[in-house]
Amino acid sequence: MAHNDNDSRLATQQDFELLVSRYYSTLYQFAFSLTRNEDDACDLTQQTFYTWARKGHQLRDASKVKTWLFTTLYHEFLEKRRRQVRFPHHELSEVNQDLPSIAPATVNELDSATVLQSLARLDETFQAPVALFYLEEHSYKEIADILGIPLGTVKSRISRGIAQLQQILTRDPWPHAAGRRRHG
Amino acid sequence: MDSRLAKEILLRYRPGTTSDPEFAEALEEAKRDPELGRWFAQHQAFHNTIRERFKQLPVPAGLKEEILAGYRPAVIPVWWQQPAFQALAAAAAIVLLSVVAFFWSRPREDRSFAAFQSRVVRNAQRGYVMDITTTNLGEVRQYLATQGAYADYVLPAPLEKLPGDGGAVLRWHNKPVSMVCFDLGNHNDLFLFVASRADLPDAPSTSEPQFTQIGKLTAASWSTGDRTYVLAGPGDEQFVRSYLSP
Repeated sequence: MAHNDNDSRLATQQDFELLVSRYYSTLYQFAFSLTRNEDDACDLTQQTFYTWARKGHQLRDASKVKTWLFTTLYHEFLEKRRRQVRFPHHELSEVNQDLPSIAPATVNELDSATVLQSLARLDETFQAPVALFYLEEHSYKEIADILGIPLGTVKSRISRGIAQLQQILTRDPWPHAAGRRRHG
Repeated sequence: MDSRLAKEILLRYRPGTTSDPEFAEALEEAKRDPELGRWFAQHQAFHNTIRERFKQLPVPAGLKEEILAGYRPAVIPVWWQQPAFQALAAAAAIVLLSVVAFFWSRPREDRSFAAFQSRVVRNAQRGYVMDITTTNLGEVRQYLATQGAYADYVLPAPLEKLPGDGGAVLRWHNKPVSMVCFDLGNHNDLFLFVASRADLPDAPSTSEPQFTQIGKLTAASWSTGDRTYVLAGPGDEQFVRSYLSP
């Protein structure tokens, strides 16, 4: 996923288009995994690129463009959420030692909407690390940079988040199926 | 490595990342332990499916076009980068620095705290170049330390929670001044300036902030230990004060 050679020199509209083409899909998917709302995800994605248009030329390290975009989007999300409501702090639980096994047939029946709904039911601290893990755009170190937390914490949260995701999907995979809003 | 630890590690395993020693060891354990091996096979199926579903998440049609339609290019003085202009700018800078140095070296120069505060806050309003651009406040602190600027500053709790925007080292009568920028969102920034109390003879003497309006920004100033702080931002006194105490 290395598209970074000349990114820091982007200044023209043509270069901006190139940057948007490369990253808008994955940025939107990350934004949607955080907000679970199409309009909010679109706004976050747009705002991220406009922030880049305004400040991106100050970035000196060309290899960090993608991480810069994801970091900016995540901070924008946190800032918007901070204004809306104060969320309670969640203590991290240990990884369940008796992790459930999910039958392959059950796994295959999952669709994107169900997976995203299940992600929304994770402890808040797990959601962004798990989303970035599955999007596979970043290394663990880059995920740590984006979220502003130590590498060890990222690894721990990914493991615990996935364990929790498995439990949710095993225990109650489609709790709101009747009223589920189809995305896209 | 026991089975429990191996499971925790394998939960976050992404195929293709075997170069990481912890994964290599856990994968070996999965080969040795049949029960763990069966669990891992099922987990891999789970991983592949969830991964695919993430990637299948549809992106709204027209989003890309919307982003491009709203594009407004930043005003970047590209012509500055041309050699002729750089040479001219360098010559002008030398002349300017000579003039500035002459006036600054005069005995009646204004070294008061008010002059310092006005200088740094107006600098933030006029336009400035950050030496480092990052959202990570730790990186800013580290950069300032490597540049010999003050990096032992104590941030009020609300500032700790803000994302950074970057930082720079300014000079005040040849003494370093640390500048830390915080991103408030909506294109607004907060600017924190940190100087040595000893370099500012009439700096605030207490940690109780004093407020003043400088141009369009409200500035709060206080001293703690050997450091004097100036925090400048948009909005009124109440707004800036909200970033000083929880």
